[in-house]
Amino acid sequence: MDPFFLEALVNGILLGGVFALPALGLNLVFGVVDVVWLCYAELVMVGMYAVWFLHTQAGWPLWLAFAACLPVVALLGLLLHLLVVRPLLNSPPINQVLATGGVLFVLQGAATLVFSTEFRSLGVDMPPMEVGEVFVSGTKLAAFVAALTGAGILWAFLKFTYVGTAIRAIARDREVMPLMGVDPQRIYLIASAVGGALAGLAACLLVVQLDVHPFVGLSFGPITFMICVMGGLGNMLGGFLAAFLMGLIISVGGFWGTTEFSYVVAFAFFILVMFLRPKGLFAR
Amino acid sequence: MQGNGTGRRTLLQAGAGLGLAATVPAQARAQTAPARGGDPLRIGVMTDLSGPFAGAGSVPLFQGAEVAIELFNQRGGVDGRPVAAVSADSQSKADVAINEAERLLGQERLEVVTGIYSSAHAVPLSGRFEAQKKMMWITSAIATAVLKDKGFRYVFRPTVHSDQYAEGTVSVVAEQARAKLGMDPEKVKLAVIYEDGPYGTGVSSAIEANAKARSMPVVLKEAYSSTTPDLSTLVTKLRRERPDIVYQVGYNPDITLFLRQARSGGLRFRMLFGHGAGWSQIDKLWDTFGKDIEYFCNADPAATQMLDWAKLRPGVGDLAKTFVERFSAKHQLRDLPPHASMGFNNTWIFLEHVLKPAVRKTGGMTADALREAALEVDIPVGGTIQGYGVKFEPPGSSMAGQNARSLCVVMQFENAKSHVIWPAALGREPVMPLPAGNPYALRS
Repeated sequence: MDPFFLEALVNGILLGGVFALPALGLNLVFGVVDVVWLCYAELVMVGMYAVWFLHTQAGWPLWLAFAACLPVVALLGLLLHLLVVRPLLNSPPINQVLATGGVLFVLQGAATLVFSTEFRSLGVDMPPMEVGEVFVSGTKLAAFVAALTGAGILWAFLKFTYVGTAIRAIARDREVMPLMGVDPQRIYLIASAVGGALAGLAACLLVVQLDVHPFVGLSFGPITFMICVMGGLGNMLGGFLAAFLMGLIISVGGFWGTTEFSYVVAFAFFILVMFLRPKGLFAR
Repeated sequence: MQGNGTGRRTLLQAGAGLGLAATVPAQARAQTAPARGGDPLRIGVMTDLSGPFAGAGSVPLFQGAEVAIELFNQRGGVDGRPVAAVSADSQSKADVAINEAERLLGQERLEVVTGIYSSAHAVPLSGRFEAQKKMMWITSAIATAVLKDKGFRYVFRPTVHSDQYAEGTVSVVAEQARAKLGMDPEKVKLAVIYEDGPYGTGVSSAIEANAKARSMPVVLKEAYSSTTPDLSTLVTKLRRERPDIVYQVGYNPDITLFLRQARSGGLRFRMLFGHGAGWSQIDKLWDTFGKDIEYFCNADPAATQMLDWAKLRPGVGDLAKTFVERFSAKHQLRDLPPHASMGFNNTWIFLEHVLKPAVRKTGGMTADALREAALEVDIPVGGTIQGYGVKFEPPGSSMAGQNARSLCVVMQFENAKSHVIWPAALGREPVMPLPAGNPYALRS
């Protein structure tokens, strides 16, 4: 096999890992709370700033900055639910979307005021792995492994814990589960915090690959939403798999055609999926 | 901005202060300047103070213009009448730029708007200014397509256009290939990667045309979105084509993303040339990459501190010195980016050589009076702080409104500073190829 094509394939899978975690978090929240957090990429942005600030300005070791990022963004997810989403739970969906969309601009504006429009770099890079003629980015590989690990922990949490079971149950039937003794408000809170923590984990993986700036969410936010819809909104496994599919389409499309062409292919595929399977590629 | 001592908060306050000038009674609009003797002369200043372009040169462009207006007012304005700037933040979005332009021309009733960082904004805006017969004075946006064959009469650009960038960066390689690379120019493989807006498209097309005219092979030419999250496949393709020279035309964060992924993807080359915008923010690039970008090259109009002020026309060196001192006092930078000089210089040209004679001649500042004054500007080479002269292409020319005496230089990074290497008469000898110790240097 052409080593350069093989490298493009590997790049695609690693790129999928970048998209997978935000897609997981977004789907978790939507599946449970039934509200789309339009500002999800901006939660990731806040997490990236937290890591950058704690590591480069406060002098914390990187691992400690990473460790702190998760609860910080989890708390932000919790606050988002309490202050913005919960008051609108019974409102029309358009109000919910507009409200979380408003939070998007608030977070971008707040980041601009606090950190300015400068691009901030963590200054951390891992040496590439060279296998024959194939180069694999050490940083992206580490991020990929961390994404898979995070997804595995989430799966275990949802599968083997009581709270996880309750979350899955609420996601399956929001109306009946309260009759079975599950407190939906508590589950919403937990799901929001877990969704926030996943955004925090995504921030840790992205901050070593991208510069931080108030609009960094534009780089991956729109495509994350597309992935979630393609995999089936609320379908965590579907979104996870769709992330890798999208990564491969972009990477291989770019290799055979051009970088711009790859996005044309990706969006055309998305439209096709919407025609053929409106509820998502992996909807049950 | 924390890094250079000027925060976004300060910037917004400055912008708000300038903008406030338009909302208060005319008598109260005079700035802090000592200029006295009449109503302020109101001009628009539109730049991107937020969004991705802010960090890619638009903020220093605004700051340079700010210094020019302050200095102009302190020196008396136009016979005692100060200039009051009405600022607008186009937020790195073309639709916002259009709305803000409508506001400046409609609600604020301005006759002229200066600034405009991005070619992606300048292209749609220029037609609107022309249709409304109001002056658009472009201090940064460089795409040739903004003016080429448009026949505009109210759009002026004192700065360079994209074809000039390519002429510089391709010429350096063609002129140095045998001596520095030990290769015939026709054997040097070039690759061009560029952001897909008018700026990137304009410069990359000019690079391709210049290379073709010199029979130099372009092995890869590919566009990408400046907000793309990944360029690793493009890096793979570049590695496959093994170019000697990589030309990148980008803003930011695409530049840092490319450099990072190029390194982790094992891409190596003999030299890399940037083309202004994000590549001209040497402080930020150095903070991120340090010595890794030592000897990389970049094309743009020269930042004034790169020039020998003694060789400029009488009085111009003093003006340059004043600008650098004032700018450095307000914004702590290791090396002033070319955009700061662009903001100051091109605004100063407007204030001193267009606004002043127009007001003196007509007593007011209509767009038509300004336009006539602009067409009469005749500044010889060496007559501005960026070294070039000013003479606008007349109506009927294919590039009507373009400064025919503008000059683009090629510079090279060394120890966190930029030094001119082209035209050869103005600069030092370039270091080519990248030294062996550079992580991007091609292994022989």
